[in-house]
Amino acid sequence: MNVAIIGCGGMGALHAQMAANCGLKVALCADVVRPAAKALAEKHGAKVAASPEAACAAKSVDIVAITTPTPTHLPLIRAAAAAGKQIFCEKPFCRTVPECEKAIRIAEKAGVKLFVGHVVRYFHEFEKMREQIQAGALGEVGWVKLYRGGVFPGGPKSWFRDYKQTGGATLDSMIHDLDWVRYVFGEPERVFCQALMRSEPVTMDHSQVTLRMKSGLIATVIGTWAQPSGFRVMAEICGSRGMLQYDMNEAPLRMEARATAAGPNWFVPMNPVMKSPYQSEWEDFLAWLDGTGTPRVTARDALAAVAMAEAALKSAKTGQPVTF
Amino acid sequence: MTKIGIMSFAHMHAHGYAAALNALPDATLAAVWDDDAKRGKAAAKKHGAPFIASMDAFLASGLDGVIVTSENVKHRAMVEAAAAAGLWILCEKPLAPTAADARAMVAACKKAKVGLGTAFPCRWAPPLAEAKAKIASGALGEVRAVTCTNHGQAPGGWFADPALSGGGATMDHTVHVADLLRWMLGREFTKVYCELGNQLHRGELATDDIGSVHLEMTGGVQVSHLASWSRPRSFPAWGDVTLHFMGDKGVLFVDAFKQNLTAYDDQDMRVRWVGYGDSADLGLVADFVEAIRGRRDPSATGVDGLRATEVTEAAYRSAKAGKAVKI
Repeated sequence: MNVAIIGCGGMGALHAQMAANCGLKVALCADVVRPAAKALAEKHGAKVAASPEAACAAKSVDIVAITTPTPTHLPLIRAAAAAGKQIFCEKPFCRTVPECEKAIRIAEKAGVKLFVGHVVRYFHEFEKMREQIQAGALGEVGWVKLYRGGVFPGGPKSWFRDYKQTGGATLDSMIHDLDWVRYVFGEPERVFCQALMRSEPVTMDHSQVTLRMKSGLIATVIGTWAQPSGFRVMAEICGSRGMLQYDMNEAPLRMEARATAAGPNWFVPMNPVMKSPYQSEWEDFLAWLDGTGTPRVTARDALAAVAMAEAALKSAKTGQPVTF
Repeated sequence: MTKIGIMSFAHMHAHGYAAALNALPDATLAAVWDDDAKRGKAAAKKHGAPFIASMDAFLASGLDGVIVTSENVKHRAMVEAAAAAGLWILCEKPLAPTAADARAMVAACKKAKVGLGTAFPCRWAPPLAEAKAKIASGALGEVRAVTCTNHGQAPGGWFADPALSGGGATMDHTVHVADLLRWMLGREFTKVYCELGNQLHRGELATDDIGSVHLEMTGGVQVSHLASWSRPRSFPAWGDVTLHFMGDKGVLFVDAFKQNLTAYDDQDMRVRWVGYGDSADLGLVADFVEAIRGRRDPSATGVDGLRATEVTEAAYRSAKAGKAVKI
């Protein structure tokens, strides 16, 4: 099967590689920044599409992978569905809940499959936590704390500097954890959120959320784009029998270059696994397409995650909890 | 379907290999033999394979290959018997307690035209494979020195009985690192100095429980390695494999089994590391199955096992002589 990559930034390049690893042909690359599309196309022996819309409609393409800024997801899903393509959409699903609902209706009506890449569900460490929780190793789980964040993403001209497009750390990044909490612990009852949500300076956000789940469980979720450097994920899960902790800083592999006159040194913590979680989500998507499996995450799950992030942002604005 | 038999469950790693065999789609644990019939029957039942009481009947039961996981001193006789039966062999590390035994095993397999592999699963641990790739990429420049550890909890039982193990912590916990360094740096060991101790278990072990080893590799690479059964019973995991490379352009530290959640358990008042990393056993066993199909040696060969044993043998020789010795 042939894949079109729409949006050839970091995520586009990553998903192109994962699709290729799964034996798919990356046939078309599209980006409003044409040199980005050209560079990725060259790497995969693909063609450059005239526009994202043209790539969605191209006859040679079976699957459209959407890795563009969040507000463009809905129009691209519409274009791909109209051409009968199967769709892989990077998270967040869409910028708003009504947009997500529209996207689901469009895909259903067109009879195409729509997958949203909530990749954290495929990470080894998160799967091991879920396994331990479900095996009862912690007893009755009462509290979950998740932390995700680091530097502000994107450079000076990046769409990440437009809070309206990204929804900040809450909608763009914390959405991973909001989805995971719902995945493991069920539906939320209410949410309270503080978020900096700054438009000036544009390169800082810090979001602090408390979720009360219908089960009674409390989840504290922190998402930050305020750190001067790095990226870190942490988890702590407390139950009646014990506690589980994960810290990305305890990586198995670290490398540091000796400082030279040529420039600063670099420091890379790495967590190598046999199969990238991004490839696992592609395999899941492809198994769904050929009818041999049902995916771990559905478009409705992705909608629910956007609803949680949207409710959190509403709470941040009003200063009051929002009930689902 | 490739049919593999396991010879002896004396070494606990046999259970990991059995589970890996059953997880592979194109291979199966077809039979178990053990000179301790009770142990063998229990293991066979656990992993859903028939137990065959006679070794000759086991070797003639239509197997494609065997995994030998007996006590160290018994490796040679079992490997020679399997080779004579024309079977491909994966042997637990250390390949043998002495270089003479290891050499004889390599020769027997060569003569019988069967493949011989040494079970060095660390080569399939993704953090170590990635470390090798980084070094090969030249990111560290020339590697000049390495600081290593392979700590563990004392396994007890036959491991501390020199008549069955041939040596203690230094034998048990030097061969992985010796193999990794040869594999990653493409160099051979030339010299060793070793201080042995057995003071971590009130002197109750008949073998060493500490080996502080200094090695040199071709090109003058300086290596220190601490092999030990030093982790207390309350330690959160079985032990570790760590390598710290010092290169001209940079440094790399790898802690091969540091892909853990930390689990606090009030039920038995313990803290444990719960691993989330990939199973290295699966890669090792899959490579063995591919080797059988391709009629080739497994990737970590019998000769690789022999080289590692030459290192441990020289380490014990050094400790006895009280000076650095050539390998």
